[in-house]
Amino acid sequence: MPDAGLLEASAGGSHAAFAEIARRHYQPVYRLVWRMTNGAADAEDMAQEAFVKLWRNPTQVRDAAALKGWLMRVAANAAIDRGRKPRGTALDHAPDVVDPQARPDAPLDRAQAARLVDARIASLPERQRLALSLVYFEGLSNIEAAAVLEVSVDALESLLARARRGLKDSLSAGWRELLAGLAETGQ
Amino acid sequence: MRAVLAHASAPPLPAGAVDRLMARIATEPRQAGVMPFAPRPRAPRAAFWRHAAAPLAASLALGVWLGASGRVDFVLPNAVTGGVALIDDAPVDDLGGVGDAYAGEGLT
Repeated sequence: MPDAGLLEASAGGSHAAFAEIARRHYQPVYRLVWRMTNGAADAEDMAQEAFVKLWRNPTQVRDAAALKGWLMRVAANAAIDRGRKPRGTALDHAPDVVDPQARPDAPLDRAQAARLVDARIASLPERQRLALSLVYFEGLSNIEAAAVLEVSVDALESLLARARRGLKDSLSAGWRELLAGLAETGQ
Repeated sequence: MRAVLAHASAPPLPAGAVDRLMARIATEPRQAGVMPFAPRPRAPRAAFWRHAAAPLAASLALGVWLGASGRVDFVLPNAVTGGVALIDDAPVDDLGGVGDAYAGEGLT
Protein backbone atom coordinates (compact mmCIF):
# COMPACT_ATOMS: atom_id res chain seq x y z
CA MET A 1 0.00 0.00 0.00
CA PRO A 2 1.40 3.44 -0.83
CA ASP A 3 2.12 5.97 1.91
CA ALA A 4 -1.02 7.92 1.04
CA GLY A 5 -3.23 4.93 1.85
CA LEU A 6 -1.38 4.23 5.09
CA LEU A 7 -1.64 7.86 6.09
CA GLU A 8 -5.35 7.86 5.40
CA ALA A 9 -5.83 4.70 7.46
CA SER A 10 -3.70 6.19 10.25
CA ALA A 11 -5.84 9.29 10.26
CA GLY A 12 -8.76 6.95 10.77
CA GLY A 13 -7.02 5.54 13.84
CA SER A 14 -5.41 2.40 12.43
CA HIS A 15 -2.42 1.37 14.53
CA ALA A 16 -1.50 -1.30 12.00
CA ALA A 17 -1.20 1.28 9.22
CA PHE A 18 0.87 3.53 11.42
CA ALA A 19 3.12 0.62 12.36
CA GLU A 20 3.76 0.04 8.67
CA ILE A 21 4.68 3.73 8.25
CA ALA A 22 7.08 3.38 11.18
CA ARG A 23 8.61 0.22 9.73
CA ARG A 24 9.18 1.98 6.41
CA HIS A 25 10.55 5.28 7.60
CA TYR A 26 11.87 4.96 11.13
CA GLN A 27 15.36 3.85 10.18
CA PRO A 28 16.25 6.72 7.80
CA VAL A 29 14.74 9.24 10.21
CA TYR A 30 16.74 7.78 13.10
CA ARG A 31 19.95 7.79 11.03
CA LEU A 32 19.43 11.42 10.11
CA VAL A 33 18.89 12.47 13.73
CA TRP A 34 21.87 10.39 14.79
CA ARG A 35 24.08 12.22 12.31
CA MET A 36 22.65 15.61 13.17
CA THR A 37 23.31 15.06 16.86
CA ASN A 38 26.58 13.20 16.38
CA GLY A 39 25.16 10.06 17.91
CA ALA A 40 23.49 11.63 20.92
CA ALA A 41 21.88 9.28 23.39
CA ASP A 42 18.50 10.94 22.89
CA ALA A 43 18.53 10.51 19.09
CA GLU A 44 15.86 7.85 19.49
CA ASP A 45 13.64 10.23 21.47
CA MET A 46 13.90 12.86 18.73
CA ALA A 47 13.11 10.36 16.00
CA GLN A 48 10.15 9.17 18.07
CA GLU A 49 8.90 12.72 18.47
CA ALA A 50 8.55 13.13 14.72
CA PHE A 51 6.38 10.01 14.51
CA VAL A 52 4.33 10.97 17.56
CA LYS A 53 3.67 14.35 15.98
CA LEU A 54 2.51 12.57 12.86
CA TRP A 55 0.27 10.24 14.85
CA ARG A 56 -1.36 13.11 16.69
CA ASN A 57 -2.43 14.70 13.46
CA PRO A 58 -1.67 12.83 10.24
CA THR A 59 -3.65 15.35 8.21
CA GLN A 60 -0.91 17.94 8.64
CA VAL A 61 1.07 16.11 5.93
CA ARG A 62 -0.24 17.88 2.86
CA ASP A 63 1.52 15.75 0.27
CA ALA A 64 1.35 12.10 1.27
CA ALA A 65 3.93 11.22 -1.37
CA ALA A 66 6.45 13.33 0.52
CA LEU A 67 5.80 11.67 3.89
CA LYS A 68 9.40 10.56 4.35
CA GLY A 69 10.62 14.08 3.67
CA TRP A 70 8.09 15.49 6.13
CA LEU A 71 9.25 13.13 8.88
CA MET A 72 12.86 13.98 8.14
CA ARG A 73 12.15 17.70 8.28
CA VAL A 74 10.37 17.43 11.64
CA ALA A 75 13.10 15.23 13.09
CA ALA A 76 15.90 17.41 11.74
CA ASN A 77 14.27 20.53 13.18
CA ALA A 78 14.05 18.79 16.55
CA ALA A 79 17.73 17.88 16.31
CA ILE A 80 18.67 21.44 15.36
CA ASP A 81 16.61 22.85 18.24
CA ARG A 82 18.31 20.46 20.61
CA GLY A 83 21.72 21.59 19.37
CA ARG A 84 20.84 25.24 20.06
CA LYS A 85 19.63 24.69 23.60
CA PRO A 86 22.29 25.23 26.25
CA ARG A 87 23.14 21.93 27.83
CA GLY A 88 25.59 20.59 30.34
CA THR A 89 28.74 18.86 29.13
CA ALA A 90 27.45 15.90 27.22
CA LEU A 91 29.54 12.86 26.58
CA ASP A 92 29.56 13.54 22.88
CA HIS A 93 31.02 16.99 23.53
CA ALA A 94 33.69 15.77 25.90
CA PRO A 95 37.22 15.90 24.57
CA ASP A 96 38.56 12.69 23.08
CA VAL A 97 40.71 10.59 25.33
CA VAL A 98 44.10 10.14 23.72
CA ASP A 99 45.40 6.63 23.60
CA PRO A 100 48.93 6.86 25.06
CA GLN A 101 50.05 3.87 22.99
CA ALA A 102 48.79 5.26 19.71
CA ARG A 103 51.53 6.29 17.30
CA PRO A 104 50.76 9.51 15.45
CA ASP A 105 52.39 8.24 12.25
CA ALA A 106 50.52 4.94 12.21
CA PRO A 107 48.03 4.52 9.38
CA LEU A 108 44.42 4.96 10.43
CA ASP A 109 42.37 1.87 10.93
CA ARG A 110 38.73 1.72 9.97
CA ALA A 111 37.40 2.75 13.37
CA GLN A 112 39.79 5.69 13.60
CA ALA A 113 38.90 6.80 10.08
CA ALA A 114 35.21 6.60 10.96
CA ARG A 115 35.74 8.67 14.10
CA LEU A 116 37.74 11.24 12.17
CA VAL A 117 35.13 11.58 9.42
CA ASP A 118 32.27 11.63 11.97
CA ALA A 119 33.97 14.37 13.96
CA ARG A 120 34.56 16.50 10.88
CA ILE A 121 30.95 16.07 9.74
CA ALA A 122 29.79 17.02 13.24
CA SER A 123 31.85 20.20 13.08
CA LEU A 124 30.00 21.45 9.99
CA PRO A 125 27.28 24.09 10.41
CA GLU A 126 23.96 22.37 11.02
CA ARG A 127 22.31 23.13 7.67
CA GLN A 128 25.36 21.99 5.73
CA ARG A 129 25.46 18.83 7.82
CA LEU A 130 21.78 18.26 7.16
CA ALA A 131 22.21 18.75 3.41
CA LEU A 132 25.17 16.39 3.36
CA SER A 133 23.33 13.76 5.40
CA LEU A 134 20.24 13.88 3.22
CA VAL A 135 22.05 13.66 -0.10
CA TYR A 136 25.12 11.54 0.65
CA PHE A 137 23.90 9.26 3.41
CA GLU A 138 20.16 9.00 2.82
CA GLY A 139 20.36 9.08 -0.96
CA LEU A 140 17.73 11.77 -1.46
CA SER A 141 17.76 13.61 -4.77
CA ASN A 142 18.66 17.28 -4.70
CA ILE A 143 15.01 18.15 -5.27
CA GLU A 144 13.85 15.99 -2.35
CA ALA A 145 16.57 17.29 -0.05
CA ALA A 146 15.76 20.87 -0.99
CA ALA A 147 12.14 20.21 -0.05
CA VAL A 148 13.19 18.84 3.35
CA LEU A 149 15.35 21.90 3.96
CA GLU A 150 12.66 24.17 2.52
CA VAL A 151 15.13 25.88 0.22
CA SER A 152 15.59 26.08 -3.54
CA VAL A 153 17.68 23.47 -5.35
CA ASP A 154 20.30 26.14 -6.04
CA ALA A 155 20.50 26.93 -2.35
CA LEU A 156 20.84 23.23 -1.54
CA GLU A 157 23.67 22.86 -4.05
CA SER A 158 25.36 25.84 -2.48
CA LEU A 159 25.03 24.21 0.97
CA LEU A 160 26.48 20.98 -0.39
CA ALA A 161 29.38 22.77 -2.05
CA ARG A 162 30.19 24.61 1.18
CA ALA A 163 29.89 21.38 3.16
CA ARG A 164 32.30 19.60 0.81
CA ARG A 165 34.73 22.51 0.93
CA GLY A 166 34.43 22.70 4.71
CA LEU A 167 35.08 19.00 5.08
CA LYS A 168 38.08 19.15 2.80
CA ASP A 169 39.50 22.13 4.67
CA SER A 170 38.97 20.58 8.08
CA LEU A 171 40.42 17.30 6.92
CA SER A 172 43.27 18.91 5.01
CA ALA A 173 45.79 17.92 7.63
CA GLY A 174 44.64 14.36 7.82
CA TRP A 175 43.19 14.04 4.32
CA ARG A 176 46.19 12.39 2.66
CA GLU A 177 46.85 10.22 5.71
CA LEU A 178 43.23 9.22 5.78
CA LEU A 179 43.14 8.24 2.13
CA ALA A 180 46.51 6.51 2.40
CA GLY A 181 45.40 4.68 5.51
CA LEU A 182 42.18 3.57 3.88
CA ALA A 183 44.04 2.39 0.78
CA GLU A 184 46.62 0.59 2.91
CA THR A 185 44.01 -1.29 4.86
CA GLY A 186 42.16 -2.07 1.64
CA GLN A 187 38.95 -0.40 2.87
CA MET B 1 34.44 12.82 -1.26
CA ARG B 2 32.11 9.82 -1.45
CA ALA B 3 35.04 7.50 -0.75
CA VAL B 4 35.81 9.36 2.44
CA LEU B 5 32.18 9.75 3.50
CA ALA B 6 31.65 6.05 2.96
CA HIS B 7 33.85 5.51 5.99
CA ALA B 8 31.66 7.52 8.32
CA SER B 9 29.94 5.47 11.00
CA ALA B 10 26.70 3.79 10.07
CA PRO B 11 24.41 4.13 13.08
CA PRO B 12 22.76 0.83 13.94
CA LEU B 13 19.07 1.02 14.68
CA PRO B 14 18.61 0.37 18.40
CA ALA B 15 17.00 -3.01 18.96
CA GLY B 16 13.27 -2.77 19.50
CA ALA B 17 13.13 0.92 18.56
CA VAL B 18 10.05 0.55 16.37
CA ASP B 19 8.32 -1.54 19.04
CA ARG B 20 9.04 1.14 21.63
CA LEU B 21 7.67 3.75 19.27
CA MET B 22 4.48 1.77 18.73
CA ALA B 23 4.11 1.22 22.47
CA ARG B 24 4.29 4.97 22.94
CA ILE B 25 1.85 5.55 20.10
CA ALA B 26 -0.63 3.25 21.83
CA THR B 27 -0.71 5.62 24.78
CA GLU B 28 -0.66 8.86 22.81
CA PRO B 29 -3.93 10.74 22.49
CA ARG B 30 -4.99 11.93 19.07
CA GLN B 31 -5.34 15.62 18.52
CA ALA B 32 -8.97 16.67 18.82
CA GLY B 33 -10.72 17.24 15.55
CA VAL B 34 -8.54 14.99 13.42
CA MET B 35 -10.65 14.00 10.48
CA PRO B 36 -9.82 11.08 8.25
CA PHE B 37 -8.73 12.02 4.78
CA ALA B 38 -11.52 12.26 2.31
CA PRO B 39 -10.16 11.97 -1.20
CA ARG B 40 -10.89 15.17 -3.05
CA PRO B 41 -13.64 14.53 -5.60
CA ARG B 42 -12.49 14.91 -9.14
CA ALA B 43 -13.79 17.92 -10.92
CA PRO B 44 -16.42 16.67 -13.39
CA ARG B 45 -15.21 19.10 -16.02
CA ALA B 46 -11.83 17.38 -16.18
CA ALA B 47 -13.55 14.04 -16.81
CA PHE B 48 -15.74 15.60 -19.47
CA TRP B 49 -12.80 17.06 -21.37
CA ARG B 50 -10.88 13.81 -21.12
CA HIS B 51 -13.73 11.98 -22.84
CA ALA B 52 -14.46 14.78 -25.28
CA ALA B 53 -10.88 15.22 -26.42
CA ALA B 54 -10.76 12.30 -28.84
CA PRO B 55 -14.06 13.07 -30.68
CA LEU B 56 -13.12 16.75 -30.87
CA ALA B 57 -9.72 15.93 -32.33
CA ALA B 58 -11.30 13.52 -34.83
CA SER B 59 -13.86 16.14 -35.81
CA LEU B 60 -11.15 18.73 -36.35
CA ALA B 61 -9.11 16.33 -38.49
CA LEU B 62 -12.21 15.44 -40.57
CA GLY B 63 -13.02 19.11 -41.06
CA VAL B 64 -9.50 19.88 -42.22
CA TRP B 65 -9.56 16.95 -44.62
CA LEU B 66 -12.97 17.79 -46.08
CA GLY B 67 -12.03 21.45 -46.41
CA ALA B 68 -8.78 20.64 -48.16
CA SER B 69 -10.31 18.12 -50.57
CA GLY B 70 -13.21 20.40 -51.51
CA ARG B 71 -15.82 17.67 -51.14
CA VAL B 72 -18.21 19.87 -49.22
CA ASP B 73 -17.69 23.09 -51.12
CA PHE B 74 -21.30 22.94 -52.34
CA VAL B 75 -22.59 23.62 -48.84
CA LEU B 76 -20.31 26.58 -48.28
CA PRO B 77 -21.06 30.16 -49.39
CA ASN B 78 -19.48 31.44 -52.56
CA ALA B 79 -17.51 34.01 -50.65
CA VAL B 80 -15.55 31.14 -49.23
CA THR B 81 -15.34 28.78 -52.16
CA GLY B 82 -15.59 31.24 -55.09
CA GLY B 83 -12.71 32.47 -57.20
CA VAL B 84 -10.17 34.78 -55.73
CA ALA B 85 -9.58 38.10 -57.45
CA LEU B 86 -6.07 38.31 -58.72
CA ILE B 87 -4.24 41.57 -58.26
CA ASP B 88 -1.65 41.73 -60.98
CA ASP B 89 -0.71 45.40 -60.80
CA ALA B 90 2.96 46.09 -60.99
CA PRO B 91 4.43 46.19 -57.53
CA VAL B 92 4.67 49.64 -56.12
CA ASP B 93 8.06 50.21 -54.58
CA ASP B 94 7.79 53.88 -53.81
CA LEU B 95 4.67 54.44 -51.80
CA GLY B 96 5.87 57.71 -50.34
CA GLY B 97 6.39 59.51 -53.66
CA VAL B 98 10.00 60.30 -52.90
CA GLY B 99 11.10 58.83 -56.24
CA ASP B 100 8.67 61.09 -58.14
CA ALA B 101 10.01 64.13 -56.33
CA TYR B 102 13.54 63.25 -57.32
CA ALA B 103 12.50 62.52 -60.92
CA GLY B 104 10.65 65.84 -61.17
CA GLU B 105 13.72 67.81 -60.18
CA GLY B 106 16.09 65.84 -62.36
CA LEU B 107 17.94 64.41 -59.41
CA THR B 108 19.19 60.91 -58.95
